[in-house]
Amino acid sequence: MWKWKRKEKQQQPQQQEKKKQNGTLSEFIQAMQESEDFVHYNLSGSTRCTISYLKTMCDSQVLNRSVLSTLNQKSLPTLRDMQESIPVENVRVTSKLDLIEEKVMYGYIMIQLHEKDEEVVLVPAISLESRNVSIPEVEFSVVGPKEAFVETMNTNINLIRKRLPLPQLTIKEMNVGKVTKTRVAVIYIDGIVNQDNVDTVQQRLKGIEVDQLTDSSFITQIIADNSNSPFPQLLDTERPDRVVSNLVEGKVAILIDGSPHALTCPTTVVEFFGASDDYFLPWHLATAFRLIRLFAVIFSVLSTPLYVAVLTYHHEMIPAALMATIVSSRSDIPFPPILEVIVLELTIELLREAGARLPTKIGQTIGIVGGIVIGTAAVDAGLTSNVLLIIVALSALASFTTPIYQIGNTIRLIRFPFLIGAQLWGLIGVSMCMVYFIGHLIKLQSIGRPFFEPLYPLRIKDLKDAFIRLPFNKQTERPVLMRTEDPQRMNQSRVNAKRDIDE
Amino acid sequence: MNKLNNTQGLNIPENYLVTPAYVFFLIHSMQVGVGILGFEKYLVEKAGFDAWISVLIAGGILHIILWMMYRLLQNGGGDIVQIHNSIFGKYIGGLLSLLFCAYYTLLAFTVIITFIEVIKVWVFPGLQVWVFAFVLIWLVYYLVSGGFRVITGICLISVIIGLPILLLKFFPVEAGHTMNIYPMISHDLTDILGATKQSILSFIGLEFLLIYYPFIKQPEKSKKWAHFGIFYTTMLYLISVLVTFVYYSEEQLKQVVWGTISAWKIVEFPFIERFEFVGIAMWLYVILPNICLGLWGATRIPKRVFKIKQKYVVITFCIALYFPAVLLDGRPVIDMVNNLSGQLGTYVLMYIPVLLVLKMISDKVRKRS
Repeated sequence: MWKWKRKEKQQQPQQQEKKKQNGTLSEFIQAMQESEDFVHYNLSGSTRCTISYLKTMCDSQVLNRSVLSTLNQKSLPTLRDMQESIPVENVRVTSKLDLIEEKVMYGYIMIQLHEKDEEVVLVPAISLESRNVSIPEVEFSVVGPKEAFVETMNTNINLIRKRLPLPQLTIKEMNVGKVTKTRVAVIYIDGIVNQDNVDTVQQRLKGIEVDQLTDSSFITQIIADNSNSPFPQLLDTERPDRVVSNLVEGKVAILIDGSPHALTCPTTVVEFFGASDDYFLPWHLATAFRLIRLFAVIFSVLSTPLYVAVLTYHHEMIPAALMATIVSSRSDIPFPPILEVIVLELTIELLREAGARLPTKIGQTIGIVGGIVIGTAAVDAGLTSNVLLIIVALSALASFTTPIYQIGNTIRLIRFPFLIGAQLWGLIGVSMCMVYFIGHLIKLQSIGRPFFEPLYPLRIKDLKDAFIRLPFNKQTERPVLMRTEDPQRMNQSRVNAKRDIDE
Repeated sequence: MNKLNNTQGLNIPENYLVTPAYVFFLIHSMQVGVGILGFEKYLVEKAGFDAWISVLIAGGILHIILWMMYRLLQNGGGDIVQIHNSIFGKYIGGLLSLLFCAYYTLLAFTVIITFIEVIKVWVFPGLQVWVFAFVLIWLVYYLVSGGFRVITGICLISVIIGLPILLLKFFPVEAGHTMNIYPMISHDLTDILGATKQSILSFIGLEFLLIYYPFIKQPEKSKKWAHFGIFYTTMLYLISVLVTFVYYSEEQLKQVVWGTISAWKIVEFPFIERFEFVGIAMWLYVILPNICLGLWGATRIPKRVFKIKQKYVVITFCIALYFPAVLLDGRPVIDMVNNLSGQLGTYVLMYIPVLLVLKMISDKVRKRS
């Protein structure tokens, strides 16, 4: 019985394909004429032909200056003549219907000799509306390059290529999305990258079954090894310089047309806490800032759960001197610590959500009103304690120190399970939650490579650029994680060649 | 041939293997468990403050047993199930392997109930055990279902997180009397050997090598790491014992059940006091590898013997562990379970030389025929 069903399923796509093949050019033109912006008319100058194009997608300069002027000046009896005479690059003659359909939709001009002809000339006249390359807003850095990706893929590839003038820089393109047919490019440096990683990425991209693909975050969620995890398993960045340095390390980058973010993989959890600033500063400073950032993240996740745990169950742990401060600040509060914390945390989340949705100028006002006015009022009214207000505000601040926005969201949310753990079993509950997340991180993979990498599997070599960043002359090898084909970045002996005094 | 190996579950794909160095963490983290929180008391009962010698002797014996295990495994071509099958045949060998399974389960179970006991005594007298045990066992299931690589990771994390707890030993030393240890060697050999037997109980855990051996990449290279692991454990125990002896007097120590936790009480920082709460919470990391590896080893044996899916065995075992963990209560019972698993542990360690001899004999007989 099931076999019969399966057969039916198999037959359906075949039928659809047949239909597509059976369609003719005139049917296509008819379908297109339903739209107002499709222009289709006969030219009756020195050359007699039929021109069709989408006026919203075509560059009228190309049409008027190159195509129409050429056709009107000379008499061009065949399509080949037109191909040779029209002064536009890459003009082609074809009768393949699906190619014609695709190209016309992207803004090519189609020229037929007679309306019923199947063979046409396609003139590229795509007008690309795109935003100018601007400074990065999410991953801003004070020093270093100030270019960020935009929504047009060609511009983005240009931003990468101009930093990597290498013939080995390979770009593989495909279309993903049943309806949107979005262009997706896989970028890597041949000879450095491990071919397995490229194959895995390409395979997963080809296997995607969606109707629409409007942003790179769709891809992050769909091709992730574990799509139920709160941790993003592909690193998304808007900085071309970051992508380039990742490519040179042997990673694979994915660009999606229409998205100002590139994805790089395989990645590790530690990488989400590294900013590009880390490479623009001397290594000891960079290391110190990276450690501060890491501490901030731990503080952000653990501070309020620890507050709840200690105040609910383990008051004995607070030294007598500190106890006085906490007691005096909490003496008027009618709620248990957990309620107090949840109310304040939710308030902060509310402020963040509101701040993110509102236009920048109003957002600032809301931040001030929410942060200062509500905060002080809540303390004055005796709803929350001063100490907690400080802790919550600090932990909110600390969660913004992550350079990658996606992981910031994760950090924002994972403190709530910790809060529940703290309320249930105090410190033991917190550490149980921690074990759960560590176990989860150990289980996670990014494109088949371990996500928790320099920690587990413990790779001392990769620790050189994880929590600390050693100077460049110590980093002569590419990370082990990617299993690159060429693990040597540079000649180690030449980098570390010692010079004698006065030489 | 390949297919045959697959059904036996011995042909492990390379991406599930761990590098030899992890054997250090596997051995060490499995040895250190709840025992270290209070094992000094049992030593002192036997050999007084000379018990530190017993710890050293026990460590030495363990090195020899580890050497034997490697001999056994290198020639045995696989794990304990394979060795049992080749020596005793399918049925008796299978039965013996199942005994190992029971022993591993008991170890995991002992750790679970002892940890729950510690929490009840020290942190939450009114702990709702049925909720806590459920969450704990669910957590263990989550980790074990990740497979051996995840468990190894937990072992690694446990050793790393256990390190700072070690530093806390400094506080009791500061408050103690070094003269406590003198006079040295005031007990006779039988006392010291008696304490050696007691301290071997806290060293058990390395016999899991018998089951995870096939998961080690280039196993012959892991030897030195395994010995390092035991050496590290011995040193850790030696330090613990010495610190406890410096801090407590002999009579006092006999009254204290959890010597290490009691010593944490005096740890004081400007922002935190009564460190035992933090200590016990961190101790979760130290005992989790015990439970996880115990359960993993226990459930792998049925998989190997009966060729059933390990997933189902793990679920069954988790449910089977849950009810006794909730129902068993009270110091005497838990003491009894601890003693029982300790006794069995010594038998297992004594069984290994026997197994090695049997294996050598059977190999020789087979060669001749």
